[in-house]
Amino acid sequence: MLRKEQNDLLTLTGPNSPGGAFFRSYWLPALLAQELAEPECPPVRVKLLSERLIAWRDSQGRLSLMDEFCAHRGVSLWFGRNEEDGLRCPYHGWKYDHTGQCIDVPSEPAESGYCKRIKLKSYPLIELGGVLWTYMGPPEKQPPLPEFEFAHVKPESRFVAKRLQECNWLQAMEGGIDSSHVSWLHRGELNTDPLFKGSRGNQYNLGDARPVFEVVESPGGLYIGARRNAENNHYYWRITPWVMPCFTMIAPRGNHPVHGHFWVPIDDENCWAWSFDYHSMRALTEGEVQAMKDGKGIFVKFVPGTYRPLANKDNDYLIDRVAQKEGRFYSGVEGIGMQDASLQESMGPVVDRTKENLVSTDNGIIMARHRMLKAIKALNEKGVPPPGVDPAHHRVRSAAVVLPQDQPFKEGAREALTVREGIAHASV
Amino acid sequence: MLSSSARATTAQEARFRIDAPNARPRTVKVIALDAGSERVLRKLAQGDWQNATFLRAPQGPSASQPVGGWLAGLAGETMNLIEEIASANVVVTLSTAGENSEMAGVVAEACRAQGKLLTALILDADGASEAALLKTLVPLRPHASMLVVASGEDYVEGMLTALRA
Repeated sequence: MLRKEQNDLLTLTGPNSPGGAFFRSYWLPALLAQELAEPECPPVRVKLLSERLIAWRDSQGRLSLMDEFCAHRGVSLWFGRNEEDGLRCPYHGWKYDHTGQCIDVPSEPAESGYCKRIKLKSYPLIELGGVLWTYMGPPEKQPPLPEFEFAHVKPESRFVAKRLQECNWLQAMEGGIDSSHVSWLHRGELNTDPLFKGSRGNQYNLGDARPVFEVVESPGGLYIGARRNAENNHYYWRITPWVMPCFTMIAPRGNHPVHGHFWVPIDDENCWAWSFDYHSMRALTEGEVQAMKDGKGIFVKFVPGTYRPLANKDNDYLIDRVAQKEGRFYSGVEGIGMQDASLQESMGPVVDRTKENLVSTDNGIIMARHRMLKAIKALNEKGVPPPGVDPAHHRVRSAAVVLPQDQPFKEGAREALTVREGIAHASV
Repeated sequence: MLSSSARATTAQEARFRIDAPNARPRTVKVIALDAGSERVLRKLAQGDWQNATFLRAPQGPSASQPVGGWLAGLAGETMNLIEEIASANVVVTLSTAGENSEMAGVVAEACRAQGKLLTALILDADGASEAALLKTLVPLRPHASMLVVASGEDYVEGMLTALRA
């Protein structure tokens, strides 16, 4: 349960909100690199943290993310002509460079210098790991670039996608640290999905239906360990890291690629669910990439030409009551990604947490909220940078390990939970 | 025509969620296992809790006394462990990193007998060495269905509030 004012602090991320300042402390995924694939490509509308922006790549290949609307009469620069190192508004020809600086107002004499007085708000946009990242906070507080492992492996070892999720970011993110739902909602997929099936870990999952949880703080967020009984006085651990504000990774299974997410607010009632798979030691196989494109694992199928899932609220997520009854899809919705999204969207645009009844197995969620509320307060009252800004906090891994029963997972899996170049994820 | 889900997930429709209690109050028993966590509980007990009872497990020689008089309230009054657990919906033990947490076993036995899950919190883990943390954590692990290692004391209040204590 959260009081309304606490819920507002965590869920509202627009300009000038405390939660907005929190999100504006981080580099955030803004677009897929392929959305601005080449110089002078069409501009792309972007809404992030309740700000409408336009993203484009100029003639020299420089990336730009700036106010969507022309300073003259408020026309959307989505209609702009991307030409000769600038984006020109087609209405009266005002032209902007990649920093948002106006460089031409055709109706004014060039020597008047009028255009120098016009500048659209802009944010840095950089390409890293197949993702275009932006930082929307105060320039003087811009942190070093992200060091999440998936963004630094070879391109052939990584697959990244994003999908529109039509609800507030927090209820989506909380699904990523809610390990106890997996045995219910996704039980049909563990042994059938090509990106999950076949690992020894799945047998531990099936052999012990009552996992026990441990939640431990990390410098950037949390580790959430789910423990099941294994052989000879050992436990099988699945460990999920969460890095503030919105990064999570799923514990690996066998030699499958590892999966992870970011949940980035578009506005207070929509978010981008970013999904990535990567393997730290090898290229993804053709079969794996095809499965990801086909919407298997944590990925989804799309309405063609969009990032909206094919199964969405307008078609009741293509719910299949027969499959639900037969247990193939526990909720009747196909696919792990849409099983999560459909239920999270069903909570409403921003779930009312004053009405919820959490139980002790929700301590991962409780601790994450607790840490974020503290971080938001410290940032807004004292200017303290929140956890997760330091790139050292990004160098975490999820892990699936078997440890002696008397060993704390944070210590027993210390190395496994840290990025180590040339060493594979710890996986069972 | 809007699908059922499209209509149901709008902000307008969210306003029609029934505004009535959807759960009866839960009784939460919080048991301090050492002097440090007892100090935390004494501070917490001054708050405005609806459904929480704050207790302490015996320490030192009194730990071996019969279960009937084993627990105590913060004022020192004797409490019956079995009765306290029987009337609980949520049972939480508090331990300070580095302190002995063996008494959790007694609480856990009572929980098992009553079919109750035990949540264990370890506080002040930030300043504790690995050996100190292990000393506290290892005895808790076989008994707790949820074990939380928190850096600060303030998490207890946050967790109890979240659980509607």
